[in-house]
Amino acid sequence: MSQYKIIFTGPVGAGKTTAIESISDIPPIKTDATANDMTKIKKSSTTVAMDYGIMNLAGGEKIHLYGTPGQERFDFMWDILITGGIGLILLLDNTRADPFQDMKFFLDSFQKFIAETNVAIGVTQMDLSKKPTINDYHSQLQGMGLKPPVFSVDARAKNDVSLLVQSLLYSLDPGIEE
Amino acid sequence: MKDKRKYPLKVALHGMDGRTYKMMVMYLQGPCKGVAVVVEDLNAEVDMIDADSAKAKTLIEQRLTESARPIIALSLQELTFENILSVRKPIKTDALLFALSEAGAILSAKKTSSDPVRSYTEKTVLSQSQESIAQTESRLQPEKDQLKNQATTTDEQNKTSKHQTAMQFDEGKFDAYIGSIPGLNVNDPKQFANAAYNPKDYFQGYVQSALKVAEAKNQVMRLNSGWKPLIIIPHNHEIWLDADDKLLRAFASLPMNKISGLKMTLTRVGSNLKSIQEDLEKIHNQDVFLWKLAVWTSKGRYPSALDINRAVFLKNWPNFTRLVVTPHALRISALLIGGSRTLPDIIDVLKIKPQYVFVFISAAYALGLVGQAERKADEMFQAPAIKKSEQQGLLSRILGKLRGNKS
Repeated sequence: MSQYKIIFTGPVGAGKTTAIESISDIPPIKTDATANDMTKIKKSSTTVAMDYGIMNLAGGEKIHLYGTPGQERFDFMWDILITGGIGLILLLDNTRADPFQDMKFFLDSFQKFIAETNVAIGVTQMDLSKKPTINDYHSQLQGMGLKPPVFSVDARAKNDVSLLVQSLLYSLDPGIEE
Repeated sequence: MKDKRKYPLKVALHGMDGRTYKMMVMYLQGPCKGVAVVVEDLNAEVDMIDADSAKAKTLIEQRLTESARPIIALSLQELTFENILSVRKPIKTDALLFALSEAGAILSAKKTSSDPVRSYTEKTVLSQSQESIAQTESRLQPEKDQLKNQATTTDEQNKTSKHQTAMQFDEGKFDAYIGSIPGLNVNDPKQFANAAYNPKDYFQGYVQSALKVAEAKNQVMRLNSGWKPLIIIPHNHEIWLDADDKLLRAFASLPMNKISGLKMTLTRVGSNLKSIQEDLEKIHNQDVFLWKLAVWTSKGRYPSALDINRAVFLKNWPNFTRLVVTPHALRISALLIGGSRTLPDIIDVLKIKPQYVFVFISAAYALGLVGQAERKADEMFQAPAIKKSEQQGLLSRILGKLRGNKS
């Protein structure tokens, strides 16, 4: 049986692990470790390998949900993870010093994968930091020739994560029906 | 002095670079357990200054002369300024909490010793005025709003309505949610010509007009409609309304005849707006508010400003996690992002009821997300056919799972 994957990526603390937990049918398998570098400023533990969750579909099919480690030193794993991926969910933390730089970094890193599939962007922590606004993100993306969905997302809210993934699926094919 | 404040202190940070600023935001939220929140300077109660920054001296002098707010200075050295609460670096949580508590107590003492600030509305016209909103606004003197500082709050986490997740509708529930226009079947192509509405004939039009004025003036304004007052806070892109969705939905669908429309006035507001600060859950994001207002006004019709036979385009995806997600809205968005199309073409390609296309277009148009091709040349190019995914069945099953799972 084919391995179908949805990939969640983004910087440290953007909510990848939480987002996977929101829509996974199993408790996600986490590979967190105590943070002992700059990551510690953001949170006490961080993902050092990957997160993994599953969505069980009718008929026994499984969608594998993979979260990439946020730290750039693990980017050698990203190519392995995206093989067979349906599309990319990019989560950005709006409280970080330069979220646009983060966005550009991840869009560049996954450029080939996005060109072959698609991307949907979720901006987290907007209740803590109102700026940049969603419109600011669209302006930046237009400059890059991209028009993906960009939603404000609370990674703990299943509905938010669900809508973000739905937008990714419709971007792949607006003709699909439930 | 003991600080018995119910709400977190609103603190403005000065003299900090971007990184330090973000860390202080998190420090106040984390180790300081949210006793204070960082807000914009306009809305702050307390100033916190990095006294070791290059401009520290100027900043402190400026604050001492121009503002009556308590000041907390963070420094590597012991400071000797009078009227300043000093915290030594490296900052210890206890020391900062103590300084914040002192600042809160100063504020409480000031509040009880002075007369309560009364809310006031600088009425420029009587409610019986027969003038339009635009005419009313033109009479306003360009006077600086001295109390603007107090008129808004950025205590974001208490604005529960503003950050509420979206409602996603399927077809069945949505029909009851928006209602219908008696005698009009918007789903009948023969009646398409009659399925248009002019937002200006409804509350929606007045709200849109008022938003533009408030935005242009960057001024807190109140729209008086003879119903519930609606307060526009342009610098935060927010609206405050003391009415629930049920009331708003009913009012949205009422046509404003000449008499009721002429009673609408827009007045400048300058106050501490106590009611707003105590009812933060009644604050809405402007886009979210306008979107649902358009949905309820449209009732499945499209804006008359759009030519149904000319292609429309979508500038970017709406922020669906905070909006009412009308049936098929995500599909329509994905289709229009791929290329401009006429409304009948969207209906035909997606094989959905016209009312769902019209209502989505109405809401997106209200937010300025939908435009119509200006040039004839734009209409000469046929929109690309939908590229059918080889995984359509699989994608459909994932969607089914997600829609069934929504909380």
